[in-house]
Amino acid sequence: MAFSRWAAPMFGAIAAVLGIAGLILTFAAPEDYQQGDTVRMMFIHVPAASLSLFVYLCLGIASFLALVFRHALADAAAVACAPLGAAFTALALATGSLWGKPMWGTWWVWDARLTSVLVLLLFYLGYLALRSALEDEQKAARAAAILALVGLINLPIVKFSVDWWNSLHQGSSTLFAKPGNGLPPAYAWPMLVMSLAYLSAFGSLWLVRIRALVWRRKARALALQAAES
Amino acid sequence: MQFDFDAGKYAIYVWPAFALTAAVFAWMIADSLGAARRWRREAERLQAERAKREARGS
Repeated sequence: MAFSRWAAPMFGAIAAVLGIAGLILTFAAPEDYQQGDTVRMMFIHVPAASLSLFVYLCLGIASFLALVFRHALADAAAVACAPLGAAFTALALATGSLWGKPMWGTWWVWDARLTSVLVLLLFYLGYLALRSALEDEQKAARAAAILALVGLINLPIVKFSVDWWNSLHQGSSTLFAKPGNGLPPAYAWPMLVMSLAYLSAFGSLWLVRIRALVWRRKARALALQAAES
Repeated sequence: MQFDFDAGKYAIYVWPAFALTAAVFAWMIADSLGAARRWRREAERLQAERAKREARGS
């Protein structure tokens, strides 16, 4: 709680500054010779897609710690990041679809990358549904944690789907880019700044949501005490 | 530094993508801060009630 009190606003401020800088760089970047102005969507789509994977990794690690060590804070961390991860995944799918229509000529194709990201969204939604479906919170936490761990299998499938199968989706042009596929500096900088902005925003909101869950736990304990007395 | 806000024939795809991103971030911020405020107020209210009960009891 003491850490999140100063870290959440600090990450939020960093996200705001980087977000503004990222937008300036986004609209100062030149048009792509093939993709024209649609290239600007890359700076909001790729960070959302990266965050959808990173947040799920956080969900998996927190669920593992909650399941093995039964640590309440790890469980809170897992619950807190799931809605954010679902939002980033839905955003990646929606912005990808808006980018796909002018570039591929279609809003959607059932290829490996798009389908595995849709499966990722379903894992997030399944996790959230399971948490709210069972009345016994401990049972719900255990079942949802197991589901989250099963979903980890999907992460390498999403990441390497473009290498393992023929896909309409392009390969990586940021981290893990094959030689010659990397972004030129005019696109690499806005991408880096926007990615860091998204990451800071997630860090800030994750801490805020963990704090909210700690307050909720406290409120429920106090309500129980009041009912007993 | 020159800015290019004219997306030309791609404007119907580019601007909705940015608007959607803004909307998702607005929802994430509002939902997270709203939940934190709601539960903090509830916990503080219950804590104050407990303090009142304890004061009456002693």
